[in-house]
Amino acid sequence: MISSASSIPHGALLEADVCVVGGGPAGIALTLALSENGLSVLLLESGFMKMDGKTQSLYEGEVVDQHMHSPPDKYRQRRLGGSSAIWGGRCMPFDPIDFEARNYIPHSGWPLSYEDLLPYYPQANALAEAGRFSYNAEEALGPQVAPMIRGFDSSRVRTSGLERFSCPTHFGSRYAKRLQLAPGVKVLLGANCTGIRLQADGRAVGLIEVSTLSGKQFSVRPRATVLAAGGLETARLLLASRDVVPAGVGNHHDVVGRYYMCHIAGNVGMLTIHGAPDSVRHGYELAPEGVYCRRRLSVTQSEQRRLGLANAVARLHFPRITDPAHRSGVLSGLFLARKMISYEYSKRLNDGAPPTLGTYAQHAFNVVKDPVDTTAFLTHWLTRRTFASRKFPSVILRNRTNRFSLEMHGEQIPQARSRVTLSGKADAMGMPQLRVDWRYSQADIDSVARSLDVFAQEFERTGTARLEYNRATLEEDLMRFGAYGGHHIGTARMGHDERSSVVNADCQVHSVHNLFVAGSAVFPTSSQANPTLTLIALSLRLGDTLSRRLQRSPVLQLEEVTA
Amino acid sequence: MKVFVLGATGYIGQRLMEMLRNTSWAEAVGAARGHTLAPGESADVRIDAREPASLAAALRGFDAVINCVAGSARSISEGAQSLVQACQAAHCARIVHLSTMSVYGPAQGLLDEQAPLNPSLGWYGRAKCEAETHMSGFVHAGGEAVILRPGCVFGPGSELWVGRTARWLHSGRLGDLGTAGDGWSNLVHVDDVCQALLAALRLPVGAQHAPAFNLAAPDSPRWNEYFTDLAVATGATPVQRLSPRKLQLDAWIAGPPLKIAQLLMKRLGMNPAAVPDPLPPGLLRLWEQHIRLDASAATETLGVSWTPYEEGLQSSAQWFLQNSNRAGTVIEKPLWTH
Repeated sequence: MISSASSIPHGALLEADVCVVGGGPAGIALTLALSENGLSVLLLESGFMKMDGKTQSLYEGEVVDQHMHSPPDKYRQRRLGGSSAIWGGRCMPFDPIDFEARNYIPHSGWPLSYEDLLPYYPQANALAEAGRFSYNAEEALGPQVAPMIRGFDSSRVRTSGLERFSCPTHFGSRYAKRLQLAPGVKVLLGANCTGIRLQADGRAVGLIEVSTLSGKQFSVRPRATVLAAGGLETARLLLASRDVVPAGVGNHHDVVGRYYMCHIAGNVGMLTIHGAPDSVRHGYELAPEGVYCRRRLSVTQSEQRRLGLANAVARLHFPRITDPAHRSGVLSGLFLARKMISYEYSKRLNDGAPPTLGTYAQHAFNVVKDPVDTTAFLTHWLTRRTFASRKFPSVILRNRTNRFSLEMHGEQIPQARSRVTLSGKADAMGMPQLRVDWRYSQADIDSVARSLDVFAQEFERTGTARLEYNRATLEEDLMRFGAYGGHHIGTARMGHDERSSVVNADCQVHSVHNLFVAGSAVFPTSSQANPTLTLIALSLRLGDTLSRRLQRSPVLQLEEVTA
Repeated sequence: MKVFVLGATGYIGQRLMEMLRNTSWAEAVGAARGHTLAPGESADVRIDAREPASLAAALRGFDAVINCVAGSARSISEGAQSLVQACQAAHCARIVHLSTMSVYGPAQGLLDEQAPLNPSLGWYGRAKCEAETHMSGFVHAGGEAVILRPGCVFGPGSELWVGRTARWLHSGRLGDLGTAGDGWSNLVHVDDVCQALLAALRLPVGAQHAPAFNLAAPDSPRWNEYFTDLAVATGATPVQRLSPRKLQLDAWIAGPPLKIAQLLMKRLGMNPAAVPDPLPPGLLRLWEQHIRLDASAATETLGVSWTPYEEGLQSSAQWFLQNSNRAGTVIEKPLWTH
């Protein structure tokens, strides 16, 4: 059932097999999995069904360099469904290489393998409504499918890879009824976790403290607790709970909040493909299940190993929107309408110096000059996105010239100094706010450059295209908007050694036997893939782990015990 | 064992007759209401199930009767009442009664056979609840009855859950429905229902008790998954994601005129299949109803071995393709959108 935390008496003590903190994709997937296995679950969600300004402001915090990272209350939503209320829906799994310890990527290597996670991916795809777990173009779209670039055949660069798109599914509204009906599940809205209280020996969670915005307080005494509050908030909760361990829960070795990663992303270079425009698949295709899919370029795993490259992908993209030299009415229209687009989606429409009047005029001219394309685009956008239940994922322009930029999305190499800490300020609940100090390294930029070099060599060798990019401006191109927003990774990383990780392969905090973390906070490395699908799969795996550990308990039900 | 089957020309009845005839222990006679027999259909006996006297005469000498009668509320409810009276008059000891999960009404969650009956969901559920009450009356008067409550019965030949459903998918009126299709399908293969009916004939039952069994394959998916799978298997691709609004419009605005057109064509002696199938609003309710039948009693007590979902899906799709001249159209063609 779903109810409001205000229905719980002040001072009450709630019991459950598992207390899940955070009702985003990770918490919802986990809760439903635990319920299926007969466990009772109390899901604490700070927000409500809809956005609530006061609750959202609990996410506010500081950013060390505002050019490098968006404010902590952006790209995150504190409500049932979490940030899936605003996500773009890109769903793809991590690659086997992501789990390997690679000697050329410091701090790489997961304590589990791709095969360990593989059984959970199909269900993750189903929950994200991203169709089958099939990421090869021929397998997903049919054997007759045209190649991404006709005539391009390479053993070093893979072009048969696909990414799939969710509706994008808002996990809160999509799964509210399942949560409402799931046996043994109680979802409390407006329930803010304000502390993880360990037992005196620090080896187990004693109580989870909960407060509402109106000041009501109660606690939960679960058999196991899972923090599923997102990559930033999970670290915040661990660091802020310091009554037994002064450095924060699980932070004996100063690892919590460190190794913070996003993705290295940006539009770079100019790719000129020879031949006719219809020889290129740059946009979206529909899989038989009705799911939008898109091709991508990547350096093969063996080549990554040989050259010591971080994982990365590239999509065929249009030129920089802000520069009216592209002469596209659609892009100029987007530029002019950017104030009507949300922060998260307009960020990459605002770059560099503020546009001059002349720039505006040129954009306006592009729109006027290109009325047919602009109208066709608007019609398509309205029918396929605005009013569609499964939304066309992003702006795609008709390919008329076979010229593209490459939209890079690359793994960030983990480093301890990229971190989040607690700031001196507190939120309305008295919880210390976060201070984000995200860092990248030259090695990140260099790896993208060398991946681009591989692409360029293979295009040239096959005679299919020419890729040019400016190595001197590559860092600027990739860092123009700082860290790729919304991907918060690594702040409670997974590993075998508690001196360099926070949780073990079971997602359990090393030092606390009944405290677990679900979500991208536990990823030790970031992959080329967006984190959502993998964090759902990992949450489902955690559901199995917890079900095995806790079994069905006849004693612990969801009961209120008034203290 | 001499077995009398009422409703022997229906979808389940026909398959049941086949399976009964393949047993070494049952001697089956099928019956159907005479006036509903279409050309080509055959039944051993034609009777009116609402006429106790003629039914009693037909039932004399039989050990059991299986009640697969479908139709109007009256033929379901009054038919069951007449059947009980006829069995008592003819000393026919056992009734195996095919009920439905609709007797649980709007209930949601995992339901076993102890869940209360709820007749509030329209005429069909109400009539089926009444029929079950007549069965209880039969048992209290010394008879034996076994009640089976199947979910949605599908398989090759299923017009309701395969033919009509696939046509909706091919015409873009059905697809992935999101929350509106998140209910459990409770699909059960027609062979499994017949298996359960056969087992129910020979199930030892105690006095004053009419055991009931839910029938739904344990691996039956949610509706969205079934619709997507059936669409892919029959080539209705790419599957469309439909908004609840579009479904509502189809059911409430397009539904009534389509229904009237179908009835008119039937009245005029024309083939009503020429009119697109209306989308009954009741189905919209069903598809979003999170009701999941717990069929473990049927597995354990009746020993039903369930047809795997994938097998039922593929054979159903094949039947649809063969009967709609769409064979060969299943190519997984991706749609290049820009």
